[in-house]
Amino acid sequence: MTYYSNNLAALDFDFEAFPVEAIALESANIDRAIQISSAIPNESQQWQTYLNALALFGFEQWLNERAADIPLNSADSTVLQPQYANVFQAVANLTVGSFKVCLIATGSLTDEEVIIPQTVIDLPEFAAHFYVLIEIQEEFEQAIIRGFVRRDRLDSQCQALNLPPNADWTYSVPLAWFDSDPDRLLLYLRCLEPSAILLPEIAGDRIAVLSTVQAELETLLPLLQSRETALWQVLNWQQGTAVLTNPELLEWLYKLQTEENDKQEAETQNELRNYLSDLLNLLTQRTVNVARWLQDQIDELAQGLSWVLMPPTFVPATVSMRSTQSLEAVLPTGEFEEIIKQLANTGMEIPTTARGAYQDIGLADIQARLYALTWPFLSPENTPEWTLLLVLGPTPDSALPNGIRLRVSDQSGVLVQRTLNRNSMDTYLYVLIAGRWDEKFLATITLPNGTALTLPPFAFRP
Amino acid sequence: MGVASRYWRLVRIDATGGCKVEAIDSLAAFFRQEFPEFAGGGEVQDTFIQRRLLDLLHNDSDRSILAEGCLRCFISNQIEQVCLQLEEQFGREHGFTRYDLFSFVLDDLDLLLLHQRGSLQQGAYKSLATEILQKFNPEKGNLSTWATQLTKHHPEINAFLLERGVYLVSDWAILNDTTPKQVQRIFSQFHHLTPAEIQQAGILLESYHLVYRRERLKLRQAGGGGKCLPPTDKQLEQIGQYLVSKLSQEKRDILDLSTEDILTRLQEMAGKLRQYRISVRRGMPQTDSMDDPEIRRQAENNPSPKWDNDDRDEQEEFLAFYQASFLESLDLALGKVVSDRIANLKRKKPPIDSQFIEALHLFHCQAKAMGEIASAIGFQAQYQVTRLLKLKEFRADVRQKMLEFLRDRVLNQAKIYVDPERLQSLDSQVELALDEKISEIIQEATDEASNPNRCSQSRFSQRLCKQLKAIADFRF
Repeated sequence: MTYYSNNLAALDFDFEAFPVEAIALESANIDRAIQISSAIPNESQQWQTYLNALALFGFEQWLNERAADIPLNSADSTVLQPQYANVFQAVANLTVGSFKVCLIATGSLTDEEVIIPQTVIDLPEFAAHFYVLIEIQEEFEQAIIRGFVRRDRLDSQCQALNLPPNADWTYSVPLAWFDSDPDRLLLYLRCLEPSAILLPEIAGDRIAVLSTVQAELETLLPLLQSRETALWQVLNWQQGTAVLTNPELLEWLYKLQTEENDKQEAETQNELRNYLSDLLNLLTQRTVNVARWLQDQIDELAQGLSWVLMPPTFVPATVSMRSTQSLEAVLPTGEFEEIIKQLANTGMEIPTTARGAYQDIGLADIQARLYALTWPFLSPENTPEWTLLLVLGPTPDSALPNGIRLRVSDQSGVLVQRTLNRNSMDTYLYVLIAGRWDEKFLATITLPNGTALTLPPFAFRP
Repeated sequence: MGVASRYWRLVRIDATGGCKVEAIDSLAAFFRQEFPEFAGGGEVQDTFIQRRLLDLLHNDSDRSILAEGCLRCFISNQIEQVCLQLEEQFGREHGFTRYDLFSFVLDDLDLLLLHQRGSLQQGAYKSLATEILQKFNPEKGNLSTWATQLTKHHPEINAFLLERGVYLVSDWAILNDTTPKQVQRIFSQFHHLTPAEIQQAGILLESYHLVYRRERLKLRQAGGGGKCLPPTDKQLEQIGQYLVSKLSQEKRDILDLSTEDILTRLQEMAGKLRQYRISVRRGMPQTDSMDDPEIRRQAENNPSPKWDNDDRDEQEEFLAFYQASFLESLDLALGKVVSDRIANLKRKKPPIDSQFIEALHLFHCQAKAMGEIASAIGFQAQYQVTRLLKLKEFRADVRQKMLEFLRDRVLNQAKIYVDPERLQSLDSQVELALDEKISEIIQEATDEASNPNRCSQSRFSQRLCKQLKAIADFRF
């Protein structure tokens, strides 16, 4: 089988000279690119990330040499954040001057079809004014800006052709659509007003979309545990959109894929999968605003869920002083105070500004009472924060079953999980957590038989 | 098809590094005897002759040496051709001649002479030609192709050319950067292979990626790098293991999965991708030598796009409006761009800012050719001057700086700056204005005496030379 021509004159002579504008990649940048790619679990994505990072640094070097006065901000770019680099084939969210730029890295092959991820075209969050094609000659440590296409041009050409996306969430775009003169890109970056090229607007209903696919995601996302599996193989585009536009879900996915293969992490794996439903709830559910309690108010949602606000006077300035006062132990307030007293004995400090509420919960045949207490405080760094104290106890004349669990999560993971222990003398479970004002907490009560109740997330929005 | 004399004409380097072509009589006589039909000269059937010679080489102990001698002569001619072609394509701009290349690859000796002297020992000395012949498999292609391949991929030639800015992408880099999806498309649309072949290629590529890319990243992590080398036997074995795990049982039974076979398959796949690559790159704009008059003209004067009349009026109005600040902004832009370049080049190790100023002066103010400039500033080859000056980029930077200045001076010109097409044609119009010959436009008294080419100078060159003179006066 011959695959080369016989005739020397007609031979494909494939030596090339580096173009004048080739960028010699600095060795420190190559090291950084290696480091960035090493955080990516999937091996083919790892190589792409390596090329992407080289493209970013090559572009940075080019801009710095040609127009050092145009600021480049790569901190938010997808390649520098592993949870994004893990699923992005291109470098999105790079800001150059007042423009958004997306870099598409290609290697030694040279293809007449340029693969652009659907993500950076169809999702406004990642759209760019300019899509820049950068060829990386890895073995020669060179980057070459092969061309660029303006967003408006790309749109009109896609529309003219009615170009459909590929099954793997990419568009195959002809190389000829790219303007091969990088100087023209520079002309635009230097002189054009950003308003000259309109970007699509970000849809406001991302969370609404997420809630419609929430149940599906809960079953589908764990399938991505195999690092060989790509999002498009498991999700449809609508589900994909919900995931890709949600940093917390991408973070979750990244954790799932990076902790795989490590046998000792099996426990973590299970926890991570359990946490997915908490995370989805945190992202989609309406919250109970406990800051309102401090103003002696209770929001509609809390009211609907039969939270009962407790009077402000119940909380002792110091528990020991109040302990002489007699209160009816059967009343929730009184009972709660008993609990507070016990907690205070363990050294917990509760300010007088704190306010609380309680709710009776029926879960299977178990009757329980959940108390919540909240108060604001200033962190040592002077950031305003809030505290949530949750206490799960029995309703009067009953007892909590052994093995009942109280779990609290926030958007980064499961924070605390407490189980009522047969050997312990405790009759209730408590959890004390604190966070910034933009943080939410989700509580789930689980019975030993697995029956679970998840409450709407607690938030603090004064 | 070629000339018969290639089979007895040995091209080799002589002791002085020059090239020597010897017609070896005994080989000529042998050839005439074996192939009387071609003895009259003229075109010969290479495939037929080579098969016969190989047969003699392997199966006829009496004529084996003579047959090998003929084949090695043929190979030496082929190697010479490759060197000639490289010289023709890159030699002048990248500063080398065929003789530089010969010294790496035309290292064969007269086989018969060695034989007579009794110095022909197994494994004693291996020229490129012997390597080419030993590894040649007539089932896989013809000898001239094979010889060309091995010469082009000769490591020393590659290293030598790379130092001069000429490179050959390795098979392994191409495979690294190609996805199975691309292989699927290219092999079906470009090479028209069967679905079974395409599927197998995809699996092979995936297996290669798992082993080779991982090792490549590790190598980089350890501070290594450079040109991608062929996979080692150990890597090929691992690739084989992945292949076995991915292939169906029946495929496993038919396929030869020896390391040698896997290597050949990978090279064939890379060869096909390379063919595709070349066909695509042929269609792309090339970087050319600045000494080509047409290129030189283009570098100095980008062709302007067509405008409709409205745009043109508006832009002329714009330019007219800024006539007063035009020269001022040009001078400001030149000053800024030159000083930025100088600052960048000062940071290089070693700093090359003085060479830059001198080269810029020689090009714009003395109208010297790149080759001349190279020797004047002590560079090896003109491509280095081209990369130092980056004339096209330099000019674009000046224009764009001017447009920035103009924009910042007057607020009401937003119309142009919010329309990419208008901005682009304004850019072209500025370019035209820069290129206008000063003798036709303005009669500014500047460094007339110092410049004999003054009459043909563009406005751009004229203002630039004025600044360069000021820099030179300041520096020296």
